[in-house]
Amino acid sequence: MKEFMMIFIGANYEEIGLSPEQLQERMGRWFTWGDKMQEQGILKGGAALLSKGKRISGPERVESDGPFVESKELVGGYYTVTAHSFDEVVKIAQDYPDYDLGGTVEIREVMKFDREQ
Amino acid sequence: MTGNSKHKIVDHLFRHQYGKMVAILSKIFGLPNLELIEDAVQDTFLNASLKWRNKLPENPEAWLTQAAKNRVIDLLRRINAEKERHHKVIHGAVAFDINEFFLNHEVEDSQLRMIFVACHPAFSKEEQIAFALKAISGFSMKEIAAAFLQKEETIKKRLSRARKKIRDLNITLDYPLPNEIQSRMSGVLQIIYLIFNEGLHSTKPDALINKDLCGEAIRLCKFLLVKENFRSGSLYALFALLCFHASRLESKLGNNEIIDLKHQDRSKWYLPLIVLGNDALKKSMQFNDRSVYHYEAAIASEHVKAINFENTDWNKILKFYEEMYELMPSDSILLSKAAIYLQMDQLIQAKSELVKIKPESLNQRRYLLHGCFADFYEKTGDTDKAVVELDLAINSCSNQLEKKYLARKKENIVNKT
Repeated sequence: MKEFMMIFIGANYEEIGLSPEQLQERMGRWFTWGDKMQEQGILKGGAALLSKGKRISGPERVESDGPFVESKELVGGYYTVTAHSFDEVVKIAQDYPDYDLGGTVEIREVMKFDREQ
Repeated sequence: MTGNSKHKIVDHLFRHQYGKMVAILSKIFGLPNLELIEDAVQDTFLNASLKWRNKLPENPEAWLTQAAKNRVIDLLRRINAEKERHHKVIHGAVAFDINEFFLNHEVEDSQLRMIFVACHPAFSKEEQIAFALKAISGFSMKEIAAAFLQKEETIKKRLSRARKKIRDLNITLDYPLPNEIQSRMSGVLQIIYLIFNEGLHSTKPDALINKDLCGEAIRLCKFLLVKENFRSGSLYALFALLCFHASRLESKLGNNEIIDLKHQDRSKWYLPLIVLGNDALKKSMQFNDRSVYHYEAAIASEHVKAINFENTDWNKILKFYEEMYELMPSDSILLSKAAIYLQMDQLIQAKSELVKIKPESLNQRRYLLHGCFADFYEKTGDTDKAVVELDLAINSCSNQLEKKYLARKKENIVNKT
């Protein structure tokens, strides 16, 4: 069994400006998606990230304040799931509610050490 | 399913879900927002009862849980907290964090903490009961007021004072410190006992037994027993006591009249509760602590194991009362002893106990003292004095059913002469 991270990019609600009803409806879809994955026992973790950021970079350790990219490039959160393959996670990611807002799901495999190779 | 029983089920569902939702939301948003939280939960249930008017959803509990999660989103928008994450929802992945609060062990934990908050020593006993019944057990202010023969306004004030204390004293939804847990638990047990007692001997003018209050007390007790670190001899003993009393509820009322222990149809006593009580009583002895509940449970156990009233082991019960008196002297114990002496026709001992009692110490139950005196005078053949005592009893009693019972007793004596 492998572990994958779905990195959610773009579709920042604050920037887009949703009405309370729209937000409520959209969150309903996130709750449904979360429940579905919980029932299947595949959801391991997840979080939303606030937009404000800080970066420390390079040998000079230069500090800078963010956001650093265009909002459609901004990482908004992540979920980690267990699955057998990328294809499986692509299927899981179909239920991501924010495609219509221009959101993107980036799927990456988590490196695990306690696996037989 | 009849409309009435469907109503009851929904009522109980709402009550229990209310407590759960308030606990979860209080964990998320903090106790200072309690009023807002309770309003939000109430609103959710109002919507539910409107939507469910014609048909119950397949899984009502899940429906309510989902509605509560939606409320979180709504409350996130409305509550201004120092922590930034409470300001607004900017990404849906926050659903994961929110869901965590709704996991079973989390909900249970929140509810447990709420019980301890309800019994905070800063609250008066009245505030504790009102808070527990409202925030934990989901009773409405109207129901609480009716149960305790108070005005709704009084209950409202008590709840408002409790909420103010929460804000002023920074009371948080946390467990008491390890060195405080024992004393807080004793407060918790007291509140459960008071709630049960109110259901059992309701001071409402009409219904003698309020099954809902009794049931709720037992439910809270059972809930605490699930957690190993909160178990104690006292908790088991209290649970045993409640089970024994509850087992006899069906036999207490007949034709809308009170039937006393002597005349109760013992076949109506609910055996499974007696078995549960005996089990709990046994477990209570395995702990080192001893409490009044141990003795009350032991006495109740003697009553329920007797085949009939006459075959009750009165001497054993008497001994329990004496030990209980040593642990915690009270006039109501003396009254119970007097009643037993009367039962055993030991009139001199009965009288000696009765004269030690101060009527004021019994508060609204002082009619029981007069009733006991009446029994005494009846046995000594002093019917005039018996009637006088019964009149005193009737006048100091606020419960219609008890009044009827006493009036019948008076009639019986008068007719004999």
